[in-house]
Amino acid sequence: MQGSTKRMGIMTDVHRRFLQLLMTHGVLEEWDVKRLQKHCYKVHDSSATVEKLEDFINNINSVLESLYIEIKKGVTEDDGRPIYALVNLATTSISKMATDFAENELDLFRKALELIIDSETGFASSTNILNLVDQLKGKKMRKKEAEHVLQKFVQSKWLIEKEGEFTLHGRAILEMEQYIRETYPDAVKVCNICHGLLIQGQSCETCGIRMHLPCVAKYFQSSPEPRCPHCNDYWPHEIPEVFNPEKEREAGVSKSSKKSLRSRQH
Amino acid sequence: MLQKPRSRGRFSSQAEKDRDSGRGGDIRAQRGGVSEETPSTSRGPAGSQETQGTSSQGARRSQAAPAVGPRTQKQLELKVAELVQFLLIKDQKKIPIKRTDILKHVIGDYKDIFPDLLKLAAERLQYVFGYKLVELEPKSNTYILINTLEPVEEDAEVRGDQGTPTTGLLMIVLGLIFMKGNTIKETEVWDFLRRLGVYPTKKHLIFGDPKKLITEDFVRQRYLEYRRIPHTDPVDYEFQWGPRTNLETSKMKVLKFVAKVHNQDPKDWPAQYCEALADEENRARPEPSGPTPSS
Repeated sequence: MQGSTKRMGIMTDVHRRFLQLLMTHGVLEEWDVKRLQKHCYKVHDSSATVEKLEDFINNINSVLESLYIEIKKGVTEDDGRPIYALVNLATTSISKMATDFAENELDLFRKALELIIDSETGFASSTNILNLVDQLKGKKMRKKEAEHVLQKFVQSKWLIEKEGEFTLHGRAILEMEQYIRETYPDAVKVCNICHGLLIQGQSCETCGIRMHLPCVAKYFQSSPEPRCPHCNDYWPHEIPEVFNPEKEREAGVSKSSKKSLRSRQH
Repeated sequence: MLQKPRSRGRFSSQAEKDRDSGRGGDIRAQRGGVSEETPSTSRGPAGSQETQGTSSQGARRSQAAPAVGPRTQKQLELKVAELVQFLLIKDQKKIPIKRTDILKHVIGDYKDIFPDLLKLAAERLQYVFGYKLVELEPKSNTYILINTLEPVEEDAEVRGDQGTPTTGLLMIVLGLIFMKGNTIKETEVWDFLRRLGVYPTKKHLIFGDPKKLITEDFVRQRYLEYRRIPHTDPVDYEFQWGPRTNLETSKMKVLKFVAKVHNQDPKDWPAQYCEALADEENRARPEPSGPTPSS
């Protein structure tokens, strides 16, 4: 068989149950993924040691390779939480949404996506999105209905809403990064540190390079005087903290109350 | 000798291009050009499928299409991958998957090897996900996925959706049907459910619209059969188990559920217990044929 000569992993019922249950979530945070993994071990092989998550997932991915899907790991753009999603490697479209939404709804998403990518902050206002309602393909949609559809996108974790503005959820970035890069090659922004697609982040006011908030946090972690990696000018924004799962659980802070840095620091 | 292969921007992605640097020799008769939405490797006209290398008279039976020719390992792999994903997504909705839909949306001009593709897809579904691809009824040309992993109560805590309705309203109705001799009138169903606070005309906190669930959703998903009883006035309907129920659960499992609810033993209902036992014996006998059609 052409392609990789990597040894393919073995699937057991532990892995199968894990995959089945993972698929019921569009996207899952690392802590929940670990919980899911433990559950699957408990059901099928309670005496075995739970394999390190990274190895466990790599094993499954080596089997999924021939099906052109993989469990992809990413990080939320606002507070650096690790997230996982099962993504399709063979299509460069928003096809996973295609089964859950009507033609005009998909087109609304595309319009919102374009506005988000073109924006400076990575956010598109509700008003601006709704003003495009007349241009949608498919059945005619009223603004009221469009508002409802936008909420559907938020509930199914394709978009995030903050104060009446919308940006892409980590899930959308994981699933669609390739599609976005290919469809909007000129408008797309990229992080100077990790070179990944950037929707929200901070930018240097002098030379304009951009960085994800979690990338900023890591890069400037132990710098007393943060400076732009490109032009060396003083970095003018507040440096966020590196995401620490242990710390958060200890403090018993709920996700919603955690003071996550505003991402409008362009 | 052959016309230049058209490459209308094949759907295949960057990922494939990266994976596959030495593609040169594989450019035989590849059909490209697919809309960005449907994940399909090819969607050419349903023209003839002559093999390549036909003589220069270029047997042009179909209008414009170049011959299909041998497909690469990669193309086949991709096709199977698409088919697996299609089946998984469709089954999520719990609507049986029609063979015609599979042919239309995924197989396209790989129709000639459809049985092989389906067999490969079924193998992958079983090995990777633990799902068995089965035909809903013999010769129905519709398929569903059966979970070969037993659902466990704690699954509910870690899953992101409702899961299959293995408990709740459906199970109650299935139990009712079985205990009443495998068929029950709709009026009797509501007489029973009313006692549990479930009404056909009233919105239910958990079940939403119970009438729609029972008479439409469960029927569409093939868990139940819903038939009009002729010559009844006012019109009455009867319920029976649908084909999916027989595949996903069993008389014994349903009897055990009923027994549990009553805090009794299945054997306390000797007639039903006998029937359930006979059903178990039937199931234990090996299947006469595999899940995939022999073309």
